[in-house]
Amino acid sequence: MSNVINVGMADLKTTKAPNILMTAGLGSCIGICIHDPIVKVGGMAHIMLPSANGNNGGNPAKYADSAMELLISDILRLGAQKSRLRAKIAGGAQMFSFPGKPPVLKIGDRNAEAVTEELKRFGIPLVISDVGGSFGRTIHFDVGTGDLKVRTINHGEKVI
Amino acid sequence: MEITQLQRDALREIGNIGSGHAATALSTLLQRRIDMSVPEVWAISFEEVASVIGQLDSPQAVIYVKVEGDAPGKAVFFFPVESAEIMVQALFGSKESFNLFEDEMAQSALKEVGNIMVSSFLIALTQFSGIPLQPSVPALAVDMAGAILDAILLEDGSLEDKVLFIDTQLSGIPQIEGQFIFLPNDGSLRKLLGALGI
Repeated sequence: MSNVINVGMADLKTTKAPNILMTAGLGSCIGICIHDPIVKVGGMAHIMLPSANGNNGGNPAKYADSAMELLISDILRLGAQKSRLRAKIAGGAQMFSFPGKPPVLKIGDRNAEAVTEELKRFGIPLVISDVGGSFGRTIHFDVGTGDLKVRTINHGEKVI
Repeated sequence: MEITQLQRDALREIGNIGSGHAATALSTLLQRRIDMSVPEVWAISFEEVASVIGQLDSPQAVIYVKVEGDAPGKAVFFFPVESAEIMVQALFGSKESFNLFEDEMAQSALKEVGNIMVSSFLIALTQFSGIPLQPSVPALAVDMAGAILDAILLEDGSLEDKVLFIDTQLSGIPQIEGQFIFLPNDGSLRKLLGALGI
């Protein structure tokens, strides 16, 4: 029996196969999904902003940099090997466009960039990403197979 | 951001008067009775905001109006897609069905609803506090409620540990449901409370 474990906003969870991790309503936020396909463990973080900027008192799961570090160490604690870790990411949309105004701060793009950089820094391959656009995403991550199901309201559903 | 009971009561009163005006404007516009809950004042972490707006991936039409002036902030209306469609039909006086995700006429009608409601809210707030406030051009997104909310809260690329907002539930007869939230920016809260002598 597999359980579906809910990951909230600015939240981070790890689990073993056959469990599924899910997070609902990603807008400009990013869902980072990392797993080890051999020992079949993995985790998901729902980050909101690129960097904690040294703000160590806050919730580490809120930021790309601090969440990545915590997510990886939690997955390793479940028996994963760092060299086998694989990542998939989704989210980073821009939900509003204001007519006549250039999008000065595309927070979704900045989040996607920051997450990609962090994965590089830790040497974890980014297998595939589904980022950008102007629509929300709900994702389900199978930590055993690494399948990432991305559901949208008006832009279909796919498994990547 | 911690607030005292006195500040909370004052903000609830601001919400009561402002949202009352907004609900009356909606009622006049739609020619329907619109009821309003007693506003709640929340000062909660972002993680907890989800519990206030309900299902994060439920399809909603969200009208977002930035509040400009001496005490800037954000005003946001959440309407479930079915409620938004009923509102548009009432406005157009037509039972014809349409796709809110694509229909530009329907979308601009909803933006106008947001504009009128926020203007009413701000007029009341300005009268009450003496602080001049104006609505900006409304923006609309029809998508997952949580996805839209995070985009609004994170728009400036930063986030306080606590989010403070005034939250009012709206319900109309028949079958209209909605939620109005007003988020004063950090400095605005002190100005609004200061204007009320608190």
